[in-house]
Amino acid sequence: MAKTILIIDDDPVVVKYLSNLFQDNGYETLAAASAREGMDVLKGTVPDLMTLDLEMPGGWGAQFYRQVTKEERLKDIPVIVISGVAGRHAIKKAVAYMAKPFDPDKLVAIVRKTIGD
Amino acid sequence: MTEKITETLLLVDDEPGIRKVLGISLADLGYRVLTAENGEAALAMFRAHCPAIVLTDIKMPGMDGIDLLKAIKGESPDTEVIMITGHGDMELAIESIKFEATDFVTKPIRDDILSIALKRARDRIAMRAKLRAYTENLERLVAEKSARLVEAERQAAVGQTVEGLARAFSNIAGDMRGGIHYFNEMPCYVSIHSSEFKIVAANQLFLERIGDRIGARSWEIYGRNSDARPSPVEETFRTGQGQRARRRICLADGSRTTLMVHTAPIRNRERGVELVLEISADMTEMNRLQTELRATQTRFEQLFDEVPCYISVQDRQFRLTAANRRFKEDFGEIEGGFCHEHYKHRDSSCPNCPVAKTFRDGRSHSHETVVRSKSGEQYNVLIWTAPLRDETGEVTQVMEMSTNITQVRQLENRLSSLGLLIGSVSHAIKGLLTGLDGGMYLLGAGFAKSNEAQIQEGWETVRMMVERIRRMVLDILYYAREKDLKWERIDVVSLVRETVAPLEKEISEAGIDFSVDMAPALRAVELDTGIIRSVLGNMLENAIDACRMDASGRKHRIGLRVRPDPRYLFFEVVDNGIGMDDKTRESLFKTVHSTKGKRGTGLGLFMSGRIIAQQGGAISVTSIPGQGSTFTLKIPRERNASLSPTRS
Repeated sequence: MAKTILIIDDDPVVVKYLSNLFQDNGYETLAAASAREGMDVLKGTVPDLMTLDLEMPGGWGAQFYRQVTKEERLKDIPVIVISGVAGRHAIKKAVAYMAKPFDPDKLVAIVRKTIGD
Repeated sequence: MTEKITETLLLVDDEPGIRKVLGISLADLGYRVLTAENGEAALAMFRAHCPAIVLTDIKMPGMDGIDLLKAIKGESPDTEVIMITGHGDMELAIESIKFEATDFVTKPIRDDILSIALKRARDRIAMRAKLRAYTENLERLVAEKSARLVEAERQAAVGQTVEGLARAFSNIAGDMRGGIHYFNEMPCYVSIHSSEFKIVAANQLFLERIGDRIGARSWEIYGRNSDARPSPVEETFRTGQGQRARRRICLADGSRTTLMVHTAPIRNRERGVELVLEISADMTEMNRLQTELRATQTRFEQLFDEVPCYISVQDRQFRLTAANRRFKEDFGEIEGGFCHEHYKHRDSSCPNCPVAKTFRDGRSHSHETVVRSKSGEQYNVLIWTAPLRDETGEVTQVMEMSTNITQVRQLENRLSSLGLLIGSVSHAIKGLLTGLDGGMYLLGAGFAKSNEAQIQEGWETVRMMVERIRRMVLDILYYAREKDLKWERIDVVSLVRETVAPLEKEISEAGIDFSVDMAPALRAVELDTGIIRSVLGNMLENAIDACRMDASGRKHRIGLRVRPDPRYLFFEVVDNGIGMDDKTRESLFKTVHSTKGKRGTGLGLFMSGRIIAQQGGAISVTSIPGQGSTFTLKIPRERNASLSPTRS
């Protein structure tokens, strides 16, 4: 079964970009435009990986991550930070930090290394 | 009243009617009129402006006229205070005279009686000014007289030295003719004369300046014939006594000068006068040195006055003992006032006073602070202090130099706002580039898979990103460029139509109802249309975004209303989008603020606000979270001539 990636970013253009990129590489995708939407998605499912923007309406990405990892079933989801703000240390447990604009091949390589095909 | 009145007058009365009517008649008389409604306000205004005359009502709530009179006289005994009394307040009027009020006038105030009281006040001011001038004149006279006395003393001292030298010389010199070289280094003319009244030797200075007159007659250098007044040398031979005289002589270069001439007899063994030593000091040389000294002093005084900073000298009590012209121009005549009064308008010395530190440790200190000039302007100043010591080395006074760095600080503020702008621009560019990457990825993938829909989607994304980049670049250009406003007379209807047209597609795609409501009476107005179009477009884009971000699911509407009043034109953009709380609304016009995540640069409103304010207009906003916002652009209908054509 294909692995699922949850994309959290408030910019619909970025969401569309990442969705297509991941789908073209054989992953399924879910998307959320805010921290609140992200929590809603996570109520029903546990994705294999999350990409997270740090700066979003309704909450700072790092706060959202802390809230997510409080739940036992969610605490081990690998996270890749994709952001325009310098926040390399905002989420210490993040698998990778990609600064916008990012290199799509590099991103896919990291995803593949983290969760496999 | 024909004389020109220049005094500032403070009018204090708790009745607004009296302040208004009396204020007008006083202004008609030529006074610069300040008003205050009670004693406390009056005292504050008095301290800030130091009016020469105060006209105050006696009965006022709070601090009354008598208390005000006492306070003013306590701080500034020279201020003329005229009391206004009600009918039957004679007791109070008399009491006020005890506290040195200049005069009192009774209500209702008659113009002629007020004029007399004011004239009396002005006469007293003029009298004091005359007295001060006379005192200063007297001081100058004393200074001149004592300078003359010192001069005379100095001349006497020169004479005594010369006599002493001549006497000493007559004792040691066996052969005067050969010994003359001892005098070569002396800064005066030395010559030796024989009993035939001939010059037989002279020192180097004599030979250089008066000329080689060896062998000439003793009197020839004084430019006279032998039959006129005898020369000092002749007198010395005749009387056997040393002489002292003031003589004019002609120098080798043809110029004439006055010498202080001293002679001394040199006697032979038989005690007869064999030779006469003549030593002359050049008076003009001494005068020249004195003139030079005076010029140097004047130059220092000029420097003191003209340097581009404020200089004051203060004693241990922080009382100003001297101040340069610039200081007086901006902070008023010092007249024994305190530093903190002039700079800070406060009653006691300031915390962290650098002058106090210098008095404590005898070293220079610097300090940056904000001061207020006599006209109420605030300046950022950088202060340096330096100790002034007496002969014993004790610091008796401190000199304080302040440089006005207001412009530097303004520039710094502008630079830091530019820094914020650059930060937000670079952040926005990162987002836009990511979006552009996304669009290109969709295009590439679409082509690879021959997926028409994906190609279309990719192309739309690229187009949208390019449009956002274009808008941002225009925003930045508006901010960065110093540009002249281009005023043109334009029909409002077509201005609105042109502004709305490029946005219509976006509005209909977002499913928003759009309506325009224009007052029928609108005619041509004079505006910088480029700017109005940009700002109005910005407001409409904000409204579209506010509707898009609202997830309530209701039908969205944007309305554009244009209505005039006699002076202004109002453009109102009303939306029923997401709305804002107060905090968001307040931060709207700050540089980096963006409520739109990656969608906005945060530049639009910041720049719109600046540009519109520059045109004498304003942008305001009301909003309710969850219900929508109304942005109002107010712009003058006619060009305001007083507005600067370029942005500061």
